[in-house]
Amino acid sequence: MTGRRTAQALTALALATLPFAAAAGELNILTWEGYADPAFITPFEEASGCTVSATYVGSNDDFAAKLAAGGGVYDVITPSLDTVGMMRLAGFVDPIDTAAVSGISGIYPEFSEHPEIVVDGETWAVPLIWGSVSVIYRPDKISGTPDSIGVLFDPAYKGKISMWDDKSAIYWTARYLGYPNVFDLSDAELEAVKAKLIEQKPLIRKYWSSAGELTDLMANNEVWVSNAWTGLTSKDVNALEKGFSVVEFSPKEKAEGWMDSMMLVRGTPNQECAAKFMSYMQSAQGQCGIAASTGYFPVNPGAVADCMDAAMKEERKVDNIDFVKSLVMWQQPVRLDKYLEVWNAVKAAP
Amino acid sequence: MRRPASSILKTAGLFSLPLGWTLLLLIVPYLMMIAVSFWTRQFPLFVPDFQFGNYVQLFSDPQYTTVILRTLKIAAMVTAAALVLGYPLAYFLVFTLRSERLRNLVYMAVIVPLWVSYLLRAYTWKIILGTDGALNSALMSLGVIDAPLDLFLYNQAAMVITLTYIFVPFMVMPIYAVLENIPKGLIEASEDLGIGPLGTFRHVIAPLSLGGVVAGAMMTFCLSFGDFVAPVLVGGPDGIMVANLLQTQFGAALNWPLGSALATLVLIMVLVILGLTGWAERASARNLR
Repeated sequence: MTGRRTAQALTALALATLPFAAAAGELNILTWEGYADPAFITPFEEASGCTVSATYVGSNDDFAAKLAAGGGVYDVITPSLDTVGMMRLAGFVDPIDTAAVSGISGIYPEFSEHPEIVVDGETWAVPLIWGSVSVIYRPDKISGTPDSIGVLFDPAYKGKISMWDDKSAIYWTARYLGYPNVFDLSDAELEAVKAKLIEQKPLIRKYWSSAGELTDLMANNEVWVSNAWTGLTSKDVNALEKGFSVVEFSPKEKAEGWMDSMMLVRGTPNQECAAKFMSYMQSAQGQCGIAASTGYFPVNPGAVADCMDAAMKEERKVDNIDFVKSLVMWQQPVRLDKYLEVWNAVKAAP
Repeated sequence: MRRPASSILKTAGLFSLPLGWTLLLLIVPYLMMIAVSFWTRQFPLFVPDFQFGNYVQLFSDPQYTTVILRTLKIAAMVTAAALVLGYPLAYFLVFTLRSERLRNLVYMAVIVPLWVSYLLRAYTWKIILGTDGALNSALMSLGVIDAPLDLFLYNQAAMVITLTYIFVPFMVMPIYAVLENIPKGLIEASEDLGIGPLGTFRHVIAPLSLGGVVAGAMMTFCLSFGDFVAPVLVGGPDGIMVANLLQTQFGAALNWPLGSALATLVLIMVLVILGLTGWAERASARNLR
């Protein structure tokens, strides 16, 4: 496409001739809700002189979509481990200069030396925070103590169920149907998953696409049960004191685990601020700050040693990396496109 | 007849800005979209190509037809509802309200919501229709229902209500304009000849206002056909429309080629609709003569 190249050249020319005013002390991060809370971002801005602006994603698939639509806007992204490799392969990110980031040595080696993070001796991401996806529900509305994913498919709660609008709906359904390898389902298994999800649709009130939306749905009585990013929604809904509370549980078919890392967008002019930010997020302020604003688990046990009490450490699995083994840790599905197609087909179905 | 070169230059100079604008921001992007629709998705992105696989997928996978038909249905329902609400309103404004000041005031009241952010207006409906919303509270305090009903929000009815509310001014405006321009003499002549109000409406007002109805219907239809906010805010799990599919293909699925093919198909459908309405308008104009 010569026309495209000409257009790109023209854009580049136009950008090059603009006065370079925006360079000093800016940092644009594309991240998840709760990851840029003023409680810990404001102190960083004051200490570093870097102004942070954050844009939020609703799923891991949003990272590539936003970066493909035109780079140059974001400096740092925080995809989950299952998406880190794709960012590298698509050429959206640069490797990290580990000498410029302090605190990496304190991160659980299970994360910092993970084969998706370190490839051919180069480090592509700095782990930030980890956690799980479990089931959230209203004990005053759901009878008994649910222990299975089955509660999300229970006709007794028709119209009061929600699910995350994400390809992970396939993982949940596959586990419910008893398929062991949820990231490499066969065509027949995917068909069964799709049929099950379409069968579930009349029970669904709304698929949620951001933590804020799920909080609204739960707080306003629209839904009673959903899968949810463990910690965040329950904290936010309970803080609203609506006269009821919500609780979370890990289903017997297992909850899901994820780990989000910071990556450096290719060619960003704000390298210095990015390195300062990554270092800060490994400090006590950064790790305890993000853990407090999200309810998730810190990746750097040394950093939180003095800013969390014993009960909090227990709850946030500090020095309990073995908890990972109880979870189905996200991986990129072997046939990502096929999974996305199945999920889109479910959403499009009548 | 040859025009002097200077005149051609002047004309070109005069129209170069709008022509350049149209070319650069409309024609070129359309051509690029059509070109990309023949590319191939290849993990992690997509590669230039020339093949018809994307179009084949649009017609072979039922999910796309389902959503296109659903979108046509929703858009038609919104258009019908907007016409049922909008025509009498415009008629009332032009023929019933005698005071010009009052008429302008009511007309402004219809138009003013257009100044408010579309998102905000759609959000408002969420607050009205929700389980804990205004409508349920009102019905409960009136004793009509004992427990809040779920059936107002997160379904296709909520989408039709919201879209009708948002797009009804686009129906009222053109109908108002044509009704206002009907010469009063024609109506008086009809009445003088002993035709009743219904007959006058049927034989004089309705045919003369058809152009406004077609224009309003076309705008309302096209605007609701391309909407993607209502399904996200007030639609339920069965509310996905074509624009949401486009968003997904350009977003999460990262399949710009398939998205472009779908967008091209939508463009063709809209052009066909425009062509049909144009034809209908001309046909009705011929009948009048």
